[in-house]
Amino acid sequence: MAYLSTTNFAEDKDFIDKWLYTIRTGQMDLSWMKSATEKISPEEANPRRGLTYRDLNVGTYGYTDIPEKVRNNRSYAPRGAEIPDGVPDAQPWVSRKSELWAFNTESYYEEAVSRQWNATTDIPWDRLDGVELPEVTGKALSQLMTFLTEVEMIATDTPAMWLPRLNPDFIEVRSFIAAQAMDEARHAEVFRKRALTTGWGLMQASPINEMALKHLRDADSFSEMSVALHLVAEGNVLTLFRFSEYLSPTDVDKKIFRLVMQDEARHVGYGMQHFKYVLEHFPEKREVLHAHLDEAENISFAGAAATELTEAFIILAGGGLKKENIEQGIKITTQFNLKQMQEHFERLDKCGMPERRERSKLYLMYEMGRAAAENAGIKLN
Amino acid sequence: MSISFPSTEYFEALKAQMAANEEKFRRLGFIDTTFGVSVGVNGKARNFVLEFEVFDLKNVSEVPAIDLKKVDFQIEGDSHVWREMIENIRRNGEADSAHDINTLAHFGERLKIVYDDPDGHDKLYRFMESIQEFFDLSSKLEVSFN
Repeated sequence: MAYLSTTNFAEDKDFIDKWLYTIRTGQMDLSWMKSATEKISPEEANPRRGLTYRDLNVGTYGYTDIPEKVRNNRSYAPRGAEIPDGVPDAQPWVSRKSELWAFNTESYYEEAVSRQWNATTDIPWDRLDGVELPEVTGKALSQLMTFLTEVEMIATDTPAMWLPRLNPDFIEVRSFIAAQAMDEARHAEVFRKRALTTGWGLMQASPINEMALKHLRDADSFSEMSVALHLVAEGNVLTLFRFSEYLSPTDVDKKIFRLVMQDEARHVGYGMQHFKYVLEHFPEKREVLHAHLDEAENISFAGAAATELTEAFIILAGGGLKKENIEQGIKITTQFNLKQMQEHFERLDKCGMPERRERSKLYLMYEMGRAAAENAGIKLN
Repeated sequence: MSISFPSTEYFEALKAQMAANEEKFRRLGFIDTTFGVSVGVNGKARNFVLEFEVFDLKNVSEVPAIDLKKVDFQIEGDSHVWREMIENIRRNGEADSAHDINTLAHFGERLKIVYDDPDGHDKLYRFMESIQEFFDLSSKLEVSFN
């Protein structure tokens, strides 16, 4: 146990005497009732939605006036509570608002809670009864699901490990991050369930992708993690989920991908709004963000070399292993890869970083890939 | 009585169906997005703006043109593609795996998603299941095509 109480209460005579005195006399202290805190009457802005965190954005309980540097609370005291002497220092790592805040943070959390779903009961698993996919398609689908389970396990760990490091004054962000960890755990669950219902069991783990995922897990700061996870990795995965929905061989798979893409798009939304928040409030951090992107984009590009995933996509997109299937599969998979990159740079443009295209090696790769695709007669939208 | 497509009446009928199926849409969660639907008819477009809030379609309007800065995204396509989708939904009770919105729009060959802001574009995917279930309510309507 890393933290020990500074008092051994069972051997503290004063403490035991006070406890027994209270039992014996019923005498109460009640000083907590005089807490010097604000009295407010929050109301639902929209009764159909219910009482939201935004409705609580009032006075000292609100988030609008959280300072950039939170110095007055290093404990688990809820924002706005009176903090008496003796509250331990919880040693949060992140106490600067710019490190984690995003426009509309509170509504992303409310949306996350409202749009939770259940991998056990919301997927019509019974519709898989009697479905037998051709061997190559079944194995390719299982490989995709094996890879996605791997992705989602690290995507669960990454936000979860930051949770206790965030200053409790940022309760809305902490809540969103907790909801994200739940989303990712559900994704790992649904992909594992689908892999095992293909009839082929799991396929192979992915060394290159695990290397990329480890980069997310071991980020040096929350902001670096958010750029790498929410903006770059989940941006790519969102495009991948849409692509996978498009390729899905059954309507059960389509339902799975429609549900996971909702969660993923919400995480990307938070990532974009955090990135915009930093650029608008702390323009001096622009270079730091470029440095984060240099690494995240390098890792993102490496994913294209994961043979076990790319080949599974080619088979699913082309419908088999015949020459014409493979030609069609390569064409569609190339369109998808380029679309991933294109949408990444569109997001950065809109976040206020249009110069990224000029500085990014990934953008050079995108232009090179696009030219090669056009030469090969692959049409891009 | 059949409802013609494309028309405001068609979307109003879906709105009424959405309200009648409130439990299903509550289960799917908040849907907060405004998007455009553009239907190409004989070289011209009929354009509709749908405003969703909380669990409801709050407002439908037909407009001469859709301002992409005022909507999150726009789904556009020729009337024959929309017709194929709606008829498929009518036959199956829901879109089959070749006729759901993401499949029809994925590479922009049949339906196309256009947008000004990628954050708005991503809202299509944030609310994908609600939007798909909304269009799937066409299975409960008698629809005729102009």
